[in-house]
Amino acid sequence: MTYAYLFKYIIIGDTGVGKSCLLLQFTDKRFQPVHDLTIGVEFGARMVNIDGKQIKLQIWDTAGQESFRSITRSYYRGAAGALLVYDITRRETFNHLTSWLEDARQHSSSNMVIMLIGNKSDLESRRDVKREEGEAFAREHGLIFMETSAKTACNVEEAFINTAKEIYRKIQQGLFDVHNEANGIKIGPQQSISTSLGPSASQQNCRDLGSDAGCC
Amino acid sequence: MNFLRGVMGGQSAGPQHTEAETHQNEDRIFKKNILEIQMNQKTTLKGLGISDSEIIGYALDTLYNIISNDEEEEVGKFPLILLCFYEFDFHVRWPGVKLLTSLLKQLGPQVQQIILVSPMGVSRLMDLLADSREVIRNDGVLLLQALTRSNGAIQKIVAFENAFERLLDIITEEGNSDGGIVVEDCLILLQNLLKNNNSNQNFFKEGSYIQRMKPWFEVGDENSGWSAQKVTNLHLMLQLVRVLVSPTNPPGATSSCQKAMFQCGLLQQLCTILMATGVPADILTETINTVSEVIRGCQVNQDYFASVNAPSNPPRPAIVVLLMSMVNERQPFVLRCAVLYCFQCFLYKNQKGQGEIVSTLLPSTIDATGNSVSAGQLLCGGLFSTDSLSNWCAAVALAHALQENATQKEQLLRVQLATSIGNPPVSLLQQCTNILSQGSKIQTRVGLLMLLCTWLSNCPIAVTHFLHNSANVPFLTGQIAENLGEEEQLVQGLCALLLGISIYFNDNSLESYMKEKLKQLIEKRIGKENFIEKLGFISKHELYSRASQKPQPNFPSPEYMIFDHEFTKLVKELEGVITKAIYKSSEEDKKEEEVKKTLEQHDNIVTHYKNMIREQDLQLEELKQQISTLKCQNEQLQTAVTQQASQIQQQKDQYNLLKVQLGKDNQHQGPYNNGAQMNGIQPEEISRLREEIEELKSNRELLQTQLAEKDSLIENLKSSQTASDMNEQSSTKDSEQITELKQELATLKSQLNSQSVEITRLHTEKHELLQKMETKSIPVQGENESIIASKTTDVEGRLSALLQETKELKNEVKALSEERTAIKEQLDSSNSTIAILQNEKDKLQLEVADSKKEQDDLLVLLADQDQKILSLKNKLKDLGHPIEEEDELESGDQDDEDDENEDGIKDQDHI
Repeated sequence: MTYAYLFKYIIIGDTGVGKSCLLLQFTDKRFQPVHDLTIGVEFGARMVNIDGKQIKLQIWDTAGQESFRSITRSYYRGAAGALLVYDITRRETFNHLTSWLEDARQHSSSNMVIMLIGNKSDLESRRDVKREEGEAFAREHGLIFMETSAKTACNVEEAFINTAKEIYRKIQQGLFDVHNEANGIKIGPQQSISTSLGPSASQQNCRDLGSDAGCC
Repeated sequence: MNFLRGVMGGQSAGPQHTEAETHQNEDRIFKKNILEIQMNQKTTLKGLGISDSEIIGYALDTLYNIISNDEEEEVGKFPLILLCFYEFDFHVRWPGVKLLTSLLKQLGPQVQQIILVSPMGVSRLMDLLADSREVIRNDGVLLLQALTRSNGAIQKIVAFENAFERLLDIITEEGNSDGGIVVEDCLILLQNLLKNNNSNQNFFKEGSYIQRMKPWFEVGDENSGWSAQKVTNLHLMLQLVRVLVSPTNPPGATSSCQKAMFQCGLLQQLCTILMATGVPADILTETINTVSEVIRGCQVNQDYFASVNAPSNPPRPAIVVLLMSMVNERQPFVLRCAVLYCFQCFLYKNQKGQGEIVSTLLPSTIDATGNSVSAGQLLCGGLFSTDSLSNWCAAVALAHALQENATQKEQLLRVQLATSIGNPPVSLLQQCTNILSQGSKIQTRVGLLMLLCTWLSNCPIAVTHFLHNSANVPFLTGQIAENLGEEEQLVQGLCALLLGISIYFNDNSLESYMKEKLKQLIEKRIGKENFIEKLGFISKHELYSRASQKPQPNFPSPEYMIFDHEFTKLVKELEGVITKAIYKSSEEDKKEEEVKKTLEQHDNIVTHYKNMIREQDLQLEELKQQISTLKCQNEQLQTAVTQQASQIQQQKDQYNLLKVQLGKDNQHQGPYNNGAQMNGIQPEEISRLREEIEELKSNRELLQTQLAEKDSLIENLKSSQTASDMNEQSSTKDSEQITELKQELATLKSQLNSQSVEITRLHTEKHELLQKMETKSIPVQGENESIIASKTTDVEGRLSALLQETKELKNEVKALSEERTAIKEQLDSSNSTIAILQNEKDKLQLEVADSKKEQDDLLVLLADQDQKILSLKNKLKDLGHPIEEEDELESGDQDDEDDENEDGIKDQDHI
């Protein structure tokens, strides 16, 4: 299938926060309650549509365990987007965000769009991190924020798509060099570059991103 | 070593530590050297001249020479070497690449681990593929080959760093299979990245790179020559395709790649090579193997393959052409194996294909002209040829046409073979057992026994057919019981399996070979233990496990061609159950039989019900659809009905009203009799208006009579100026009447107004109704239409009549209001007359009062004079003079007056 753009994503965050489940829910629309520990990195892909443009998302789901940290670092540079995931029922996963973010900022290109995700929003009774805390962290560090549930699929689609919208917006603002594949962006086979430049549309996107009232 | 790591900021890994400690001395010496190099390196990095780079280059080269034979020291230097990939200078980079490649080749896992944990380590090395200097790029490919060898994590990072794109670009630039050794190196690297790496395979597929493989196989038919390099390249390319569709991959992954290969035309391209001429045998063989795996278990691809024709005259199906090679002794062994694999893959999970192959053997479909060779004919030919390899291949191929397909097992029983002239035809089954009993080569007998075992398993009818030949059971028992040499053990085992199948799948339809009897026979002739031991020979055979590993028939030489992969599965499945069946006592057997029967019955019932449920499901589905369509229709109809009902109700209402109206109309208006229906509101209004008009009329009459009364009253007043009392009374009455009249007039006026308003409203309503009638006449269906049409005309007629009526009534009202104005004028004039009269009356009253006064005065005078007269008379009398009573002074009139006056006086006296 042909596409206008190809974006590379990585999913990062502590072990057991639901990174692989988020990917599985996004690519296969199913939830696997018992998931093996990810060894190294796993790959998944899906096509999405933004502003009538087909965008192929290639997603590398990384292992959260400390021992794989050095391996996962190799994926930062070539990614256009990162989903930084914590578990709303485990505060320590939230506390580790700073260290993940430092790692990401250090090894990625400066334009990488980072989406902060508080996963497991279905487990409201066991909540340990308030939504407001997540929002505050995101605001402080200039991230997009969403709470999701890989189990109920709530906001999962939105998380991936809103990240893509933000990348698309940055492309249209000329912040990304689409010809340098090291940025994690590739123009589709039959795509001309003239399709970029559309400030009105990009502003629209920007507004869309903020309003993720959703179900969570 | 740790020092060196420190320089790079790399982490130290445990195992290397111990190594380092054991070689501390060498390490120390080494450190000195490296330190110096490192100093140079640093200054170079700060941008010093070429000469420094050259020095470093030579130094690295020296280093390479020193350490290339010393495995233990490599690890420590390693991160330093990564530094030289920041340096673009050729003299630094190239030896650096060579050094690292050498390190990787000798200390693979350790070096891989260090690169993996070095920040940007892999990314740096990936940059080599983009180096403009071909030497570095090409050596970079070799470095990456060594780097990615059996390390999944690095393979994934390399893939993430766009290795597929870069390598495919290089292959294209170099001219695909016509390219040199660089293409070969790239293909090996691609294989490293993809083999047994599901994540990378998925990425490769999702990245649409399969499509980019297609041009690799656009190999011209012309004899452009097949260089050794080209053959190698093409071989690697074919293997790369096979990596993506390997039967050992996860099923979902393989099938999605298979689909992609069909969709992008890769399979079609491979089939072109398959049918082309002049293709080297090993390429052809590998192409057949590749096509096999691209179609295996994928119905679309299998269907396509069945449709491929060889460009011969007349065109023959590719399958037939390939089978010809399989049963041809002169073809290379590997090619014949490849064809068998291809045929197996074509039939794998392909009931349609199995049916097609078997059907070419059936009497009804065999081509009587004998012009074209069919697959079935080739297989039979192979089965009974003198070449044992052909026998084996044909038997296995035929067994694959029966795999998990009960229908074809039964169909194959119908196959009859013509033997020598004059003899009756023999069934295929009979012929197989005949050849088996003739004691041919082991390969032939193994092949036939595998075919028979596959054929008879799960097929009681075939078992019955087999047992029906009275020679078969004695042959089998004889084979099993005999004490033969080691080479015959496998055949004995297979015979035991076949006999076991004949017991296990026996439906007891043959009296002489019922389960129980066969078991007794085993016990008597062979012995249970012996039988089981012989059965066990199969899976204990050295070639058995080899064949069970993967589907491809891959034998080093023809002698090893003994087991078929699918057959090993059958053995695994049956060995246990047959052993159990043999050991079971007859009672247990009976019990089991009963249980089995009941189970079967249950099964039958269940299948019966299942079928019923399936049918009912279908029916249900159909009915559901019908219901939904009917519901839909019903809804539509219901809305139509309600619409029509309301229309009809409206019309009925109108009709009734009009009827009532008509009844009323008939009383005063003859011409409108015929109207039957009318607008619901209008007639009501009209009748009300009529009533009002009636009322007004009566009012008018009343007023007129009142007026007449007043007129007469005025007359009375005029005539009776004297009777003032009466006058006064009438005048008050008059004023009362006038106010009444005024009120009445006001009410009349308002009535008139409301009437005129109503009339206009009626007009508009009438208009609307007329329009409605017009529109209504469309949706009304069928018979209603004509009625309504006639009704409409009626109604229209009535409407116009009513309009006329209304007009007339209006005119009447107008006339009435004119009359009323006239009456008002009359009233005004009478009022003024009344006022005049009043004035006159007042005057008269004044006059009356005056005259009364005069009269009183006169009466006083009269009384005085009377007194005088009386006194005078009395004087006269006194004087003696007679007095006359009558006095000449008074007149008759005066007398009357006098009388009256006398009364008045009297009254006054009293007062």
